[in-house]
Amino acid sequence: MKNSVETTHIFGAQLSRRGFVKAGGALFVGFTLLDSKDAQGAVAKNSLDPSQFQSWVEIHADNTVILRTGKCDFGQSSLYTAYRQIIADELEIPFESITAVVGGDTDRTPDGGGTFDLLGRGVTSLRKAAAYTREAMLELAAQRFGVAKDQLTIKAGVISGGGRSVAYGELVKDQNLKLSIPVTGDLTTMFGLTVDGNPPLKPVSKYEVIGKPYRNSIIPTKVTAKETWVTDVKVPGMWHARIVHPATLGSKLIAAGSVDKSKFPNAQIVAKGNLLGVVAPTEWEAIQASRQVAASTKWSEWKGLPGQPNLFRYFRQDADWKSTTVSRSQKSGGDAASAMASAKKKHAATYEMPFMKHAPIGPTMALADYKADGTVTVHAHNQNPQALRGQLALMLGVPVDQVIVRLYAGPGHYGRSNGGNAGAEDEAVLLSKELGRPVRVQWMRGEDFQWSTQSPAGYSDVQIGLDANNKISAYTVDHYMPAMQDDRPVGAILAGLPTMPAPSPGGQRLANTVNGNSDPWVYDGVLNLEERAHGTYEVGQRESPLGVGLRDHSMRTPGQFQQNFPREVALSEAAALAGADPIQFRLDHSKEERLKNILERLREESGWQTRSAPNPKASAKGNAPVRGQGVSVMFRSGSYWACAAQIAVTPASGAIAVEKITMVVDPGVVVNPLQLKRQVEGGSMMGTSIALYEQVEFDESGVTTKDWRSYPILKMADMPEIKVVIVNRPEVGVYGQGSEAANALAAPAIAAAFFDATGKPARNLPLRPEYVKNLLKA
Amino acid sequence: MTITVNGQKREVQSPADTPLLYVLRNELDVMSPQFGCGLAQCGACSVLVDGKEVRSCVTPVSSATGKEVTTIEGLPARWAKQKGLSGTDAGKTLHPVQQAWIEEQTPLCGYCQSGMMIKATELLEKTAKPSDAEIKAAFTTSGPSAHLCRCGSYYAIVEAVRHASSIMAGGAK
Repeated sequence: MKNSVETTHIFGAQLSRRGFVKAGGALFVGFTLLDSKDAQGAVAKNSLDPSQFQSWVEIHADNTVILRTGKCDFGQSSLYTAYRQIIADELEIPFESITAVVGGDTDRTPDGGGTFDLLGRGVTSLRKAAAYTREAMLELAAQRFGVAKDQLTIKAGVISGGGRSVAYGELVKDQNLKLSIPVTGDLTTMFGLTVDGNPPLKPVSKYEVIGKPYRNSIIPTKVTAKETWVTDVKVPGMWHARIVHPATLGSKLIAAGSVDKSKFPNAQIVAKGNLLGVVAPTEWEAIQASRQVAASTKWSEWKGLPGQPNLFRYFRQDADWKSTTVSRSQKSGGDAASAMASAKKKHAATYEMPFMKHAPIGPTMALADYKADGTVTVHAHNQNPQALRGQLALMLGVPVDQVIVRLYAGPGHYGRSNGGNAGAEDEAVLLSKELGRPVRVQWMRGEDFQWSTQSPAGYSDVQIGLDANNKISAYTVDHYMPAMQDDRPVGAILAGLPTMPAPSPGGQRLANTVNGNSDPWVYDGVLNLEERAHGTYEVGQRESPLGVGLRDHSMRTPGQFQQNFPREVALSEAAALAGADPIQFRLDHSKEERLKNILERLREESGWQTRSAPNPKASAKGNAPVRGQGVSVMFRSGSYWACAAQIAVTPASGAIAVEKITMVVDPGVVVNPLQLKRQVEGGSMMGTSIALYEQVEFDESGVTTKDWRSYPILKMADMPEIKVVIVNRPEVGVYGQGSEAANALAAPAIAAAFFDATGKPARNLPLRPEYVKNLLKA
Repeated sequence: MTITVNGQKREVQSPADTPLLYVLRNELDVMSPQFGCGLAQCGACSVLVDGKEVRSCVTPVSSATGKEVTTIEGLPARWAKQKGLSGTDAGKTLHPVQQAWIEEQTPLCGYCQSGMMIKATELLEKTAKPSDAEIKAAFTTSGPSAHLCRCGSYYAIVEAVRHASSIMAGGAK
């Protein structure tokens, strides 16, 4: 092997030939850090196997390609479908050439960053890496042929020019090539590393792989029981643990309970601060012994929460909204106060949304293997493994290179761990360290409801003024919501170990109480607009002696759902006040062509009756079902969404049947219509579930919701008919998202349909029968 | 204690009151049934015992002795036996439910889908051509609880059950 390194510069990247290899050969795409506070050391040392290169893209001599990304799959399919398609197009290779996508493992993937905005920020780095790589392959071919790069063309991984052709694999054969690309960011933060520079990107008009309905490659292994789920991982010497969490969200440990050794001879109790675990060689022994310990453990009492029935009174009267800076939306402008004062008609109402649970079908679990040398490997299902790694290192007081996180398929949890912690990981690490053996921590169903984070409750005061022409002359809103993203690992808090700070008014990004304006205003025809968002501490956070309280975390459309529901329901009510059809009313206040287009498509595709609400047949009484229609709109991550709900309400029972949901989505470039359709269907189901059923119950001490009876979700027999309409707008040039926004649309459309059906406004969620009956009596 | 799992007799050491779920996963390395609630409220842990869906998280292993337990791992062989397939044909054939789940791209996260496919198999073995109402009833009211999917794949499941039914009848979709 030669020692010399030949280097070529390509759009700011560096291509190096590090001699030759005897067998195989490959091009690896690594990176040069432009600026990073702590990632440099982490990146340099974070591989178990120093010879394994942490590359975004690897091109091998057999023409196969491997992609690596710090992102994970939670059922969105993006890593296995959209990512492959986007990168195959950018690299000019067939979809099938990408034989593997490695996601999440901290010692095998390059970039970190949370699993959200997958087709926006998420894929952009990988796409740029692929563009640099394609240019490097052209450079190699140009050198080989003695032809200028601009004389070359690529088709399906074969470069042609000057009368010659060569496949990518042939160009890397017997070579040890490294392409170093410019990168910024910090690996273990929320956003991870970002590829820098501006390599030429393939124009949308030339896409060949993007837009086709490729299947998700992980489905066959999952349905034939060949996939290794996180729950399936076993390591030698592993014991099973259950955690005995405190009696309340503010209780401290007074005396740990005991175990009857005659019944459970191998079980061990581990206490560290207020963290109490029970560990045994078999899972059944751990479960039974932990129940015995829980029954005999003494905790201090605590009451410091307002309780669910008093939540909104607490928000109005007692919560501190003054310490946190109020956010004003970018589009706020004009003179809303004067316009409101001179309005001919006015709609003023308050909208309330409860705490909701991510509620994964499988409770959180993790397996930790803490070694005598102070390194630890954690097997997990997590949306931000590098951030988790940072949190665990902080907890242990060690450099990040002593922590490795390995990722597996698991139950989706819809945003809960995008800042690094799903629940069980830190507890598994602490128990493994205490016992000196691998420990698998599985939360039980009740713990997942009672000790995980929740999607924050909130309320909004909306005022809409109409002028003499029944057009909106002023819109003002004040949104109120406690801090939405608490990434502190709860086991570390209980054990009294270091964590990132709790949310506070002056805290750094993602650890502060600021409530941003998360729902972009789309009705550009409204000239006088005032949108303000008010934030505060989490409920019980400062009152709890543990500092725990009702911890919150982002769920699918964090903060945006809490702001979009009030806006869209209020707009439908204002349309009624104006005597206008609610779709036409929205069109009359829109300027954006994409928004108008999807609203018109929604009207055509949903069987919409063009008229004002309420329905002429509306009734708030009787045993006969009454029917209504409602509409909602959202703009998120470059995509426009419109939804129509058609529902039947039985006034006497308060029962609501959602009969049909129609979703029209314009995501810009449609990357994979098949997978997008499935994501939209799924989101519509979760949205229907949120509208009808979901609310976290809590008393003054903690969450009382504990199972699927106390937290009901949609069942198959109650599902609506779903119609998904996908509008491809390649000229827009962005890849919109599928799974995040889809679940936010149904609830405001269903609430508007309720008003249409009954003539009574529904401004709070969920629309359970008891609440509905009370509304209809009013 | 001996139980039959996917056609094989397996010796079990776990205590008799151990839920079947933990015996399958931790002792016998049969990993497809998943822990969801431990309360028979979700269906993620469903297996067939003598052709009937049971929730393995609340079923003591002792109650399965002398009975035939089938999980996703055993579906291809179950189908091959029902169709009289043998040798290489049997080895490469998936159960129609599995084929349909792939062709319809049904799972999202997929954690509940092992239980969903078990319920679909139970349904289709009794009712070869179920109506949509029968499909919805099977997944909602026929067992100890509804089968829950948090990702919202219900619509895709109905399509996949219809598709599996048509494969089983020997026709294309």
